[in-house]
Amino acid sequence: MKAALSEASKVEIRRLMAQFPQRQSALLGALFVAQDEAGALYPEIIAEVAEVIDLPVSEVTSVASFYHLYRFSPEGRHLIQVCTNISCLLSGCDRVLRALKQRLDIEMGGTTPDGRFTLKTAECLAACETAPMMMVGPDRHGPLAPENLDEILARYG
Amino acid sequence: MSDQVPIVTLSIDGRPVTVPKGTTIWTAARGAGIDVPIFCYHDRMPPLGACRMCLVNVEKTPKLVTSCTQEAAEGMVVSTTTPDVKAGQEAILEFLLINHPLDCPICDKGGECPLQDQTFRYGPGRSRYVEVKRDFAKPVSLGPALVLDRERCILCWRCVRFGEIIAGDDALKGFERGFTSEINTPFTLPAASKFIGNTIAICPVGALTSRTYRFVSRPWDNQRVPSVCTFCGVGCAVFFDVRGNTIMRTQAREAPDLNDIWLCDLGFFGHGYVQHAERLQQPLIRKDGDLQPASWDEALDLVARKIRATAPGRVALLAGARLTNEDAYVAARVFRTVVGTPHLDHRLDTRADGPSLGVSWGMTSPIGEIPTRDLFLLVGCDLTEEYPVLWLRMKQAVDRGAAIIAITPKALEIDRFVAHHLVHDYHEGSAVLAALAQAAGGDSPKTGEVGGVDLGRIALAGEALRGAKRPMVMIGKTALEAADGETMYAEVEDLCGKFGIKPSIMRGRGNAFGAALAGLLPNTSPGGRPLAQVRGDLETVWGAPVAVEPGLSGPHIIEAAGRGELDVLYIAGADPSSDVLDRSRWAAARSRLPFLVVVDAFLTETAQAADVVLPALVIPEKNGTVSNIEGRVQRVHAAVSGPGEARGDWQILSGLAVRLGRTIAYSGWEEIFNEMKTLIPGLEVDAIVPLAAPARAVSAPGAQKSDGRETAADGEYPLALIVGDVLFDRGSMSGRSPAIADLAREPWAMLHPDDAARATVADGDPIVLTARRGSIAVMARVSKAVLPGHVYVPRGYDAAPVNAIVGAGEAVTRVRVRALVTVAGGQGNG
Amino acid sequence: MAESFLLKYIQEPDHGEVDAYVGRGGYEGLRRALGMAPAQVIEEVETSGLRGRGGAGFGTGRKWKFVPTDPAVTKYLVVNADEGEPGTFKDRTLIEGDPHRLIEGIAIGSYAIGARQAFIYLRREFHQGRAILERAIAQAYAKGYLGRNIQGSGYDLDLVMATGAGAYIAGEETALLESLEGRRAMPRLKPPFYPAVKGLYMQPTALNNVETLCHVAWILAKGHQWYRDQGSPILYSISGHVRRPGVYELPLGTTIRKGIEAADGLHSGRTFKACFPGGSSSAILPANFLDTPMDYDLAKLDVYGSMLGSAALIVMDDTTCLVEVVARTVEFYREESCGKCTPCREGTVWISQVFDRILHGAGRLEDIELLDGIARGMTGTCFCPLGESVPPAIYSTLRFFRPEYEHHIKTGSCDVKALARA
Ligand SMILES: Cc1cc2nc3c(=O)[nH]c(=O)nc-3n(C[C@H](O)[C@H](O)[C@H](O)COP(=O)(O)O)c2cc1C
Ligand code: SF4
Ligand code: FES
Repeated sequence: MKAALSEASKVEIRRLMAQFPQRQSALLGALFVAQDEAGALYPEIIAEVAEVIDLPVSEVTSVASFYHLYRFSPEGRHLIQVCTNISCLLSGCDRVLRALKQRLDIEMGGTTPDGRFTLKTAECLAACETAPMMMVGPDRHGPLAPENLDEILARYG
Repeated sequence: MSDQVPIVTLSIDGRPVTVPKGTTIWTAARGAGIDVPIFCYHDRMPPLGACRMCLVNVEKTPKLVTSCTQEAAEGMVVSTTTPDVKAGQEAILEFLLINHPLDCPICDKGGECPLQDQTFRYGPGRSRYVEVKRDFAKPVSLGPALVLDRERCILCWRCVRFGEIIAGDDALKGFERGFTSEINTPFTLPAASKFIGNTIAICPVGALTSRTYRFVSRPWDNQRVPSVCTFCGVGCAVFFDVRGNTIMRTQAREAPDLNDIWLCDLGFFGHGYVQHAERLQQPLIRKDGDLQPASWDEALDLVARKIRATAPGRVALLAGARLTNEDAYVAARVFRTVVGTPHLDHRLDTRADGPSLGVSWGMTSPIGEIPTRDLFLLVGCDLTEEYPVLWLRMKQAVDRGAAIIAITPKALEIDRFVAHHLVHDYHEGSAVLAALAQAAGGDSPKTGEVGGVDLGRIALAGEALRGAKRPMVMIGKTALEAADGETMYAEVEDLCGKFGIKPSIMRGRGNAFGAALAGLLPNTSPGGRPLAQVRGDLETVWGAPVAVEPGLSGPHIIEAAGRGELDVLYIAGADPSSDVLDRSRWAAARSRLPFLVVVDAFLTETAQAADVVLPALVIPEKNGTVSNIEGRVQRVHAAVSGPGEARGDWQILSGLAVRLGRTIAYSGWEEIFNEMKTLIPGLEVDAIVPLAAPARAVSAPGAQKSDGRETAADGEYPLALIVGDVLFDRGSMSGRSPAIADLAREPWAMLHPDDAARATVADGDPIVLTARRGSIAVMARVSKAVLPGHVYVPRGYDAAPVNAIVGAGEAVTRVRVRALVTVAGGQGNG
Repeated sequence: MAESFLLKYIQEPDHGEVDAYVGRGGYEGLRRALGMAPAQVIEEVETSGLRGRGGAGFGTGRKWKFVPTDPAVTKYLVVNADEGEPGTFKDRTLIEGDPHRLIEGIAIGSYAIGARQAFIYLRREFHQGRAILERAIAQAYAKGYLGRNIQGSGYDLDLVMATGAGAYIAGEETALLESLEGRRAMPRLKPPFYPAVKGLYMQPTALNNVETLCHVAWILAKGHQWYRDQGSPILYSISGHVRRPGVYELPLGTTIRKGIEAADGLHSGRTFKACFPGGSSSAILPANFLDTPMDYDLAKLDVYGSMLGSAALIVMDDTTCLVEVVARTVEFYREESCGKCTPCREGTVWISQVFDRILHGAGRLEDIELLDGIARGMTGTCFCPLGESVPPAIYSTLRFFRPEYEHHIKTGSCDVKALARA
């Protein structure tokens, strides 16, 4: 498969570029547009983003690799990010993590065989009032207990 | 000057130090002879402050400060030796070393490694680190020239910043972050740079090393010989590091007004040919159809006999860029006086009827001024391919706000830095220039297009040109050799006239400028003055009559030979078979030439067809001087001795002269140089010696004019062929330097995605280019750098000689592209 | 205590709607500001005594005064909505619950410094916040609180949302600007790149925290005197071992004890062991500091690294293993170090490795000195405050909880209860 950006994505990237006095400012947003469409930032996809924004491929790749929310290989449909920072640690994120690994039967960073979930840890997600907490895709969930995980996961097909 | 920089006085380690305001503490300390260790700081780039090695104590400042970033201020009290500074330095070194492999004994940097040195001087002595060190996969190769050892990297960011700030090619970058940070190229692809050797030079550890130098030598075993790189016309100052009789590596020699401290990769990695096993070691004479070894006496006797047996006017000399100034001078003297022929030239790769022959090649202002100019007009000049290091100087100007206008049929690689990039239809350059001139004059239509370029963009470029105060105008080979080259040159000269300047003629490789200076031109004397004007001087110094009638220029010599008008052709360091624009002309010449002598270092295509081949030394084996594109005369020192019986050119010519009945003997290059001084005003080592006057065109008898018409873009041959020079090619020298041959890769041709699609060709596919005269097989490079309807093919690939399909009589050669159908290699069911 | 106002409406379901917001007195501050000269607006903010809520606590009015007033110079206002300091979640709360307040604050601030374009650098993970803000911004444009000729004043302001992509260091102001310019979020050299003088695109830039700008909206709406009368309220993010973690609006200088009480105290049967008074970058304080006020004077304690920071109080009771907490804190900085400077990049890894050994029963007694030594090597040598945030947790726990380290090393395991008894 040769990944390619759709015209719609390119239009969206150009719209982002138009918002800023300098086009490179659109890069972070553009990479999300590309990643959302292609599933990951494959070399061909990066080259296309670089071409649309008119930046060196090396620069685009370097920038993308700096930030943790970009990925260079595909992941599951839903990304689970379990916060393991202090407040969540104090509230028992370890138990939650263990339960998740067991239930999904994957290791940290792994993806379920059906491609549904990828499990990762995260640093403080600014929701310590609901510790221990996690995000599934764009949604926050917490406080978590091993018991309520099934019900939450069931919402994500 | 009215605006004087104010000064400040501070105290460093108890010593009062006075520096201009704006100087950093580090620089101030260094000026006072106080050493503060650094890693990330490099004086050609703005401070970064990342490594934290240069910490010093500044009184009344709560924390240590990085001396490389902090400006010196009046009354500041700095100490570089207090216990907190010591502790800071030790801490930083300890941090740097925890993940360093400490494999110094097998590291190429050993002995010239700042990390090693700083650790010795400032380190903690012993590490408290007991954990497992960071482990990267073994050294990775980043192309034919560069090897990266990530374990040794201390992340000083110098190499990354070199690519961003100095070269503008962004070749190496930082990836990931924090403790997983690494320097690399995207996806570990070969580094896309022409300047990567510099990153090896400025890497403060052994993380970036050169493929050609890896495990080759230790610095203390090398002897450094100052010399000059003569691959292109820039003539960068270099050192050849020599061990035994072998050049181990080339390094830049600091020359602030020339290459500063940089080189391009051809200079860094191109010396391999010198030691190549195929170097010619003894004279060869054609006997029974084959070239067979002979003695020097036999060979020179034969040449002398042939020359004596013919009329002087039927002998000609073509001398190339391998000659030193002294070689070229002696060649001119011997041929003009002893042989008695005016047919001598160093220019071969030009149209017989183009403007190149009528102008003096070279720059009209010094390289050192480039960084101070505010606008550059590049006409048909592919700077990074032809004069790469000049780009590094131009980039400095661009960083200060200078604009570049480029008029070119193939987009320049420095695209991002070209403010007005006017990529045009190949045969329409003069129309674009005319429109630009009109726009610069303040009136121009803003809509529509000319030569494939939008008029609105030309209008903007014109505005920029009009506002320029200190412009520099360069016209290059691509423009001068185009069908409309004459018009383009006239337009450019006109434009320049408005600024009271002269265009720089960006033509000539190697020591072409030295050849011109020394008099290897059919119509000028050494120094460039017309023969008639200096005849008296010449005859006094040379002790023989000198004819003032202009002789034939290079392309005309070839044509004359092709008409059977020459009997002997002596070629020294030139290879017309690959250098002439139209190879069929050379083939015709060769077939009708009774006697051909080739003096060269390799058995080139031309040499293979010679009657006598004489083995010559190359520049790194010679003493003397060379001149560069700005006219700077520089000294070269023999770094190694040549192979076998190979000789220097002027020595060969002396030997020939004796056999022709005249003694022209010199004790060494100095004597020749001193003689040249009497004829060339201002000649000195390190001086810039411009040619006295442009060698105006002389119309030679029987010159073949191009018919001016172009073959129509018919369905059969739809694409216009653009031929250009590239930095990495596979010519007789570069092709024999392994790293350069690898960088050059296979012969290639560049075409626009639309044309590629039409021919169902993808990037990297093998293709065949066919013109009326023949075909060559190359690799497709699909790129928008050329406009639709064009194909760009580089010269210099012996395996796919583009001059074999060009017809010099054609204004534009047209070609078609077909995918090369390969027979399935027996795998699968095809 | 004066009535709470910062959080007053955040529970109202319609508060993100411009009409509801205006109905409750919203955009009055902007209207008032537009009637004043920009310099007067800055004066108003300065006399209110407002200090930045992003962590550094610099006077907001003073900061704005550094921005050159030359109208010919393009200036920008940038909102730091990258909230990432562990234990901090007040900015997210404000974005989701009071988006128009933030927009109003942005408009006022931009007007004050003469910016015609403002950017919100929003943490990528704030998906809900992004949707809410986008909607609110669209409404504000529609109602003439943003865009051309705002409320007939002749002042134009364009507000653009930018995104983060997962990097705590992007919260540091100069790293944020790099990121906003589409580059790796690596801090810039100061000097010369102070944002107020050389900020976004090298133009003068005011960079402010979300909460800070919400305060500005209130100050302009009600006047600096009213604001001072409220007792300089501040949002404390209180989390960890408390019964009701959350954002609390309390007067500046509330003691740690009072803060814990506001969050409903500890869980029953537990006793207080330690806390971070100002997010994970601050020192860890034991029980004898319970009556210390959480204000900018914290730094005056003789405990290295004590500070208010982003006012994130993380409470730890007697079940907490502090060796584990510090180890996790250092790991956080290790993960988030940008890698530009040597001490932060290498020091965080090394310290983490030592902690790893200790936690896995392979510690050595000399490791205690080693930890202190590595921390010393990082102190005062890092490029930016991120690396300098590592030593406080180490120094303070080595000082107050040394036996816990020793126990870990000697027994190869943690016995929090035994330690509590000892
Ligand atoms: C490592 C680091 C992370 C930071 N993260 C944030 C942040 O997430 N949000 C924030 O407002 N300020 C953060 N800051 C503080 C900012 O640098 C800056 O001081 C602040 O945004 C200025 O706004 P204020 O004056 O309104 O407080 C951080 C600082 C550092 C050193
Ligand atoms: S302290 Fe250094 S490595 Fe750490 S975040 Fe700051 S600049 Fe980056
Ligand atoms: S040399 Fe000064 S910080 Fe690197």
